[in-house]
Amino acid sequence: MTKTNTPFDPKSLKFLTAVSSAEYSKPTLKMGALIASVFDASHGVVYVGERASEFHGSSVNLTRQNLDNWNIIHPGLEVLEWALQELKALSPDNEELAKIQFNPDHVYEEDGRVRVILPDDKGCRIELVLREGELVDQLRKEIQLEGYDLAIIGGSQNKRHLAHSILQYLPASVFVLQKFNPQKKYKLLLLVDDSSATSKSIEWGAMIAEKLGWPVRTLTVSKTKRFGAGYQGAADKAKAYFDSRGIEVEQFFLTGDPVRTFVEFAGDNHFVIMGASTLNPVKQFLFGSKPIQTLKQTDVPIVIVR
Amino acid sequence: MHISADMLFWIQQKRWLLIALAVGAILYFLVPHPQSLGQDGYHILIIILMTLILILKEPIPLPAIALQLIFWQVIIGGSTPNEVGSYFMNDAVFFIMGSLMLAVAIVSQGLDKRLALGIIRLTGNKTWRIVAGFTTISAILSSFVGPHMVTAMMLPVALTLIRYTSSKGQSNTGLIAALLFSIAYGATVGSIGTPTGGGRNVIMMNYWAEFGSGSLSYLEWMKLVYPMVLIEIPITIIIILKTFPPELRVLDTAIRHLTVEVAHAGKMSVKEIFSLALFTAVLYGWIAQSEVYGLGSIALMGIFLFLTFGLVSWKDLSRGVNWGVILLFGATISIGVQMKNTGGAAWLAEGSVSFLQNLIPNIDTLRAVVSVALSGILSNLLSSSATVAVLGPMVLNLGGDPILLGLASVISSAFGYFTVVAAPACTIIYSSGLVKAPDFLRAGWKMAIMSVTSLALIGLVWWPLVK
Repeated sequence: MTKTNTPFDPKSLKFLTAVSSAEYSKPTLKMGALIASVFDASHGVVYVGERASEFHGSSVNLTRQNLDNWNIIHPGLEVLEWALQELKALSPDNEELAKIQFNPDHVYEEDGRVRVILPDDKGCRIELVLREGELVDQLRKEIQLEGYDLAIIGGSQNKRHLAHSILQYLPASVFVLQKFNPQKKYKLLLLVDDSSATSKSIEWGAMIAEKLGWPVRTLTVSKTKRFGAGYQGAADKAKAYFDSRGIEVEQFFLTGDPVRTFVEFAGDNHFVIMGASTLNPVKQFLFGSKPIQTLKQTDVPIVIVR
Repeated sequence: MHISADMLFWIQQKRWLLIALAVGAILYFLVPHPQSLGQDGYHILIIILMTLILILKEPIPLPAIALQLIFWQVIIGGSTPNEVGSYFMNDAVFFIMGSLMLAVAIVSQGLDKRLALGIIRLTGNKTWRIVAGFTTISAILSSFVGPHMVTAMMLPVALTLIRYTSSKGQSNTGLIAALLFSIAYGATVGSIGTPTGGGRNVIMMNYWAEFGSGSLSYLEWMKLVYPMVLIEIPITIIIILKTFPPELRVLDTAIRHLTVEVAHAGKMSVKEIFSLALFTAVLYGWIAQSEVYGLGSIALMGIFLFLTFGLVSWKDLSRGVNWGVILLFGATISIGVQMKNTGGAAWLAEGSVSFLQNLIPNIDTLRAVVSVALSGILSNLLSSSATVAVLGPMVLNLGGDPILLGLASVISSAFGYFTVVAAPACTIIYSSGLVKAPDFLRAGWKMAIMSVTSLALIGLVWWPLVK
């Protein structure tokens, strides 16, 4: 079940945050919780651990069954337990959330996916899931299974390597949270062009700017000195949309190499939103795309809207 | 043709399958078979090469790798379906199946808590003694029952100790690694000690019998190999303690907690005593009766009794055993036999000997080096059992004493200390998430040097005396 190209309905949004450890994933989880809360979206948290070679699958399974007898929980569940505690701490006023208790024995395991059952989850709309295997493959499966709209991923050392796979194969919008400082006042930078994904990214940008109170800038980059009707029209449409919602917007029109211009303009104080590429998948695979190159080269938080 | 992102993703995920098929197709259609090797032998080697790529990269499920081995042998390998089938099931596969089931049966009894208590009584609360105890017990038990069962039983004991020594703000990475590696390396070192120490040992015994290379009884194997286990145990302890110096010298609180936890199990129940008695009977059967009845049949007899007396349920057995692995061993052994029958094994053996003859003129040394080096390297990439299943026929065609060369190959296939995939014990401790892949390299190179030296010592000094 994938939700692509569906009408923008904030009430039915589902966000998925990928966490790796208590040590490294705190900012990611915090931002995931914040974004899910401002959009009133249901929030899934997934931990993707390494999968043991199938060759020794019997031995690993046998050991894990035995660890259960010793009340030693499945590796990775402790990260989800931490995630739940963290979510509670982030929303101290949420009484429903406070009631939810983590019990490592209450899990449902199927096809290598372990879902923590939260019996007291009344209306909190939280999912805790453990998966094992290759990161992009597992995130893709989780998104397809639950129909998530946005995947929130921390920026990592492997970003350059993963950027291609994340943007090309995850069937949802992607928020890569790199060098995110919750204390910092960001400017929201919306990259506008004539692609079909721009209109949805305008809607996302407006929602985020409205809820977080960030100033908005739109940037349109042309390779030549002439801005065609498509580019001009998209920029005007964006401005009109923000105006209609009472959000102040600054418009910028620059010429040059699009990716380099985006990256230079974004600097380190913008929160970038751009539409996913509509290029043919094979061309994207072979030559990359603007979002892929931008993600690889910039160090600011970036949302690629699909 | 429009290729969607889904198709592209599938292609990317399965790229190693496509590469394996492409390599196979190029060799099959475009490269003629060597003059010195028949067409069937050449095709069997192509299938083996494709299979090695698939096992190494696992782009498809393990059972699917086994299935392709079977049908390729029939389609391009010149074998009849019945021929492939006849080599598919044998005592080695029965043993692997039986020992995996026995592991489930034993572990489900909760005997590990008794074992933990026994070890603690033996070692006391000093960290170095606990590491030494874990290594020694893991090695000795693993030599008889295999590393997977031992590690499954020992890991909870170690993790319980780790749990009660962990506190906020204090990093005990050395202690954690020392405890976990003492189990993994102890179990791996011990696994060569007897024929039942690992599936690969039984696979080699099966090849000896199949190829008419002679045989070794259970006790003869022990006489040749067990001294090496005894040499390696103390050195392994030193390597672990030096590589991962534990932060705590005494584990007083943790030991107390563990003792309390284990004490909750109460006195041994009749079921536990009966299970232990049954398993001892199986062990006796392996040692004293395996020449007559075979190791596999005895293991299956044990499982029959466990099931009959209700000590384990079939549901638990079928859930706990990876049947895909059994399928893969059956298929790998069948292609190993075909490799020998079609001349592929002899061609590979002669090729490697003539290739290296200029470097190592002494033929006996050359055979030993080829056998040990190939097994040692491949076992770090595949698994030790798959290594022996694939390399066994070639090693036995190198010339010289097939028993000693086979033993050298089996022993060196246990030198998979560098990576997490080589030995089940290494995979298990890695799956706990508490040790990292570089830790295996940190200690692995020392273990490899120690093991190769021990093997040389045993091969040059001990074997001439007793063989």
